[in-house]
Amino acid sequence: MFIIKELSWQVFFFSVLHIGLFLLAAPLLQGWIKKVKAFWQMRKGPSVLQPYRDLGKFMRKEEVISEHTSWVFQLTPALVLGSTILACLVIPGPLGAPISGFGSLFWLVASFGLARFFLVLAGFDAGGSFGGMGSSRELFIGTLAEPGFILSLLVFALMTGSTSLTEIVATLHGTSLFEIPRILAIVSLIFILIAEMGRIPVDNPDTHLELTMVHEGMLLEYSGPSLAFLNFASQLKQLILLHLLALLIMPFDGGSFLSLGGQMNLGTLFSQGILQIVLVAFLGGFFATIESINAKLRLFRVANYLAVGLGVAVLALLTLWITKGGI
Amino acid sequence: MVLGLERGVRIGTMSITFGGAVLGILYLLGNIQGGFPFDGLTTYFLFLLLLGQGISSLYGMGYMKKYEGKKSLTAFSLAWLVFLGSMAGVLIVNHGFYFLFLWELMSLFSFFLVIYHHEESANRRGAFIYFVMTHVGTVFLIAAVLYLFSKTGSFLYSDWAAFAPALTLGERNLLFLCFVVGFGTKAGLVPFHIWLPYAHPVAPSPVSALMSGVMVKIALYMMIRMVWLTLGPVELWWGILLLLLGALSAFVGILYASVEKDVKGLLAYSTVENIGILTLALGTAMIAQLFGFSQLVTLALVGFFWHSLHHLLFKSTLFMAAGNIIQTTNTRNIEDMGGLLKKIPKTGLWAIAGGMGLAALPPLGGFWGEWLLLNSLWKTSLQVEGVLSIVLPLVIGVVALVSALALATMAKWFSGAFLGQPRSQNAAKAKELPWMQTTAMGLAICVTVLTVLWPQGLLGVINIPLEVLSASGGSVVPLSTLSIYTDFLRMVVSFALLLVLIVGALFLISKRKQKRIEGTWNCGVPLNPRMQYTALGITMPLQIVFKKIVAFRPVIRKEVGKNPYILESMHYQSRTGEMAEKVFYRPFTRLFLWCAERIRVIQAGSIHLYLAYILITLIVVLIWNI
Repeated sequence: MFIIKELSWQVFFFSVLHIGLFLLAAPLLQGWIKKVKAFWQMRKGPSVLQPYRDLGKFMRKEEVISEHTSWVFQLTPALVLGSTILACLVIPGPLGAPISGFGSLFWLVASFGLARFFLVLAGFDAGGSFGGMGSSRELFIGTLAEPGFILSLLVFALMTGSTSLTEIVATLHGTSLFEIPRILAIVSLIFILIAEMGRIPVDNPDTHLELTMVHEGMLLEYSGPSLAFLNFASQLKQLILLHLLALLIMPFDGGSFLSLGGQMNLGTLFSQGILQIVLVAFLGGFFATIESINAKLRLFRVANYLAVGLGVAVLALLTLWITKGGI
Repeated sequence: MVLGLERGVRIGTMSITFGGAVLGILYLLGNIQGGFPFDGLTTYFLFLLLLGQGISSLYGMGYMKKYEGKKSLTAFSLAWLVFLGSMAGVLIVNHGFYFLFLWELMSLFSFFLVIYHHEESANRRGAFIYFVMTHVGTVFLIAAVLYLFSKTGSFLYSDWAAFAPALTLGERNLLFLCFVVGFGTKAGLVPFHIWLPYAHPVAPSPVSALMSGVMVKIALYMMIRMVWLTLGPVELWWGILLLLLGALSAFVGILYASVEKDVKGLLAYSTVENIGILTLALGTAMIAQLFGFSQLVTLALVGFFWHSLHHLLFKSTLFMAAGNIIQTTNTRNIEDMGGLLKKIPKTGLWAIAGGMGLAALPPLGGFWGEWLLLNSLWKTSLQVEGVLSIVLPLVIGVVALVSALALATMAKWFSGAFLGQPRSQNAAKAKELPWMQTTAMGLAICVTVLTVLWPQGLLGVINIPLEVLSASGGSVVPLSTLSIYTDFLRMVVSFALLLVLIVGALFLISKRKQKRIEGTWNCGVPLNPRMQYTALGITMPLQIVFKKIVAFRPVIRKEVGKNPYILESMHYQSRTGEMAEKVFYRPFTRLFLWCAERIRVIQAGSIHLYLAYILITLIVVLIWNI
């Protein structure tokens, strides 16, 4: 097969490193967001390393499985984490992304979709009320968030003339942040990402209360390693999304992207990496702050909230069309 | 005697299947040697037909066994055979008159198949709506064919194509509209789709699988044949109309699917959605052709052909799954199912694979068709100018919403039927069905898996119809010259392989720990099946948000006792209605009835009156001739 023919050790090593960094950093971001929230609540809060300890604890625990479940329930944790890892592959790091071809933007959206589909099914599988409640709401929110997510990413695709995330980032580098379509698209993404990450005001990640839960409702029947996998997957998704948002605000220099024929320059690599970490940490703090100063919306108000996100994305498209001289 | 008949019928069905396959090989050989007068476009759709009929026939052999000794299987087999033959005929002929004849035969015999369960009045009604709608469509086709005949004096497509440039713009526009209405009705485009949700659920499942998988696509084949290859060169607004009709169909179809609780009605609406997506791809290809973007024409057409095959495969699989469910639980209502994955595991496995296709999820082929379509829409919007460059990105937004709704719909269908606890006695007693009924599904899924692992193979097949369209003076370029060709192949294969590898590894890691089986946590209260979310409840939030479009009207009656704060009983009824019927059809039927009422005045039923009419007619004719 031609894929295997092209696979060199270098690419393999790079991909493993790329995924490894994402996996390693995801719980840290979660710990950092919790720390910022604790700060706003005038608490000391757990250590930023606590998510690692939690995951480790879950991995060592025995697993309890409901008698009503089928193989879908057992396969879901691996599938959700696996497809989230696949989403990592198209997000460019300082050296570019392992998979950087045309249309990698839709790969990103699709792998999140795959994870969502199985998570929703698993929610229904135990045959209780809570899982179904979470799943039904997740379908509702996910469905309404999807067009806004794709349209705001599409604004960048239209601006740069590529549907490859690597090329989008490389082309955006050096262009002005203060173009109206770009700002609007980023604002829209912020709206949508809150829904995608399951944070207040759309979903509350800290509670299992049936009135408020969406994502946690689907995980209710999980325990042990499976729960660790699913929590890890949602932390990873959070990192991917914030990293993507940071890239769209302040893109990497495409000159160091391997897939675009760039050269590895340790100096720029290092400085860009540091800047990116600072920006992601800042965004994490930003979303934690939004979460701290808002209340959760009633479920049917979420539709209006997401419609605003979608509306801003459409506005971004329209302004892009006008500034490009479409009229 | 009974045994002999049974064996005869089974052998008969089997021979039809194999006969079809042999016939197909002969056709293909004939085509290669130039022995048959048909081109690659026909070959591709014949390939779809033979694949679809092979799978459905195999399934039907198991499915129809239930009727042995109860209903006439010979009648079914005969209608099945004629239906298949007429579909093949529509694909092969290049002559307008024979086309109309075969088209009518196809409509008539599919009607006979749909009405196979004619004992129930609801089924007769469903079949009748199908019968009326398909004939309304055919009227437009007859008009178009006769008009072309009167202009050219020939029924041959090639003569029409040669003459088409000589037609005025008005005539070509009118013919185009006739074809859109005629073929759109058969394909199930909104607003001509209303027969699908009536006819598909009441037909026996192999028939639904064949009609939904193949027959609707034959209408699209004729659309390409007539509009693109005969009436062409296409006009810009034709492409835009198809684009918008496709987007509308996709959105309306999937929205109604998401609120449907009939296990087959949901799939029928999803066919409306997929036909919408295919029409959208066709419209994009036309627009790209007009602007001369030859690469994008190819991209959109590859998406079209790719998705036609995959829709056939996953929709057949799902209809077969629905058939298995109906046979084992004796209900079509998702609310009475649940927990079937443990009872009928093979059906469930194939159904989830088919469902991933319907929900446009990778790694299976259903997603990659959408990928091609989204990329072609995006790239076309980047290159066109004017209003289209903003319409196309918004259409991408619609497609995104549609695929998200498709995910929700499929999650509802699968979890309502297969997951959780059984909601009725029948569902609790469900048993796996004969091997033919699961093997046929498995075969369809194997083909999709094969296309994902070896996409070059399918793309090679898709090249056959592309060559025809490029030879017709269009600006279609060969597939392998597409700039995204390698990117596409690489993505398709690597997504599937990486997913299997990573998920496999993670699965092994997660299963090391020991497990304990306990009940589902329910706040300490004993759990019963009624505590689960109902199928209606799963998509209720969406139903409420889109209540205007799905005409959602809940009826709630509460009864309180002496104490007004304590509810004694509550009655809840949820109704959704078809908007198209209300907005589009009711005025027409009302007008029709009004005219009929007026005409009734001259129909008094007296024989003297009719004799007088004859006399008057005679006199008028005589005067006319002078």
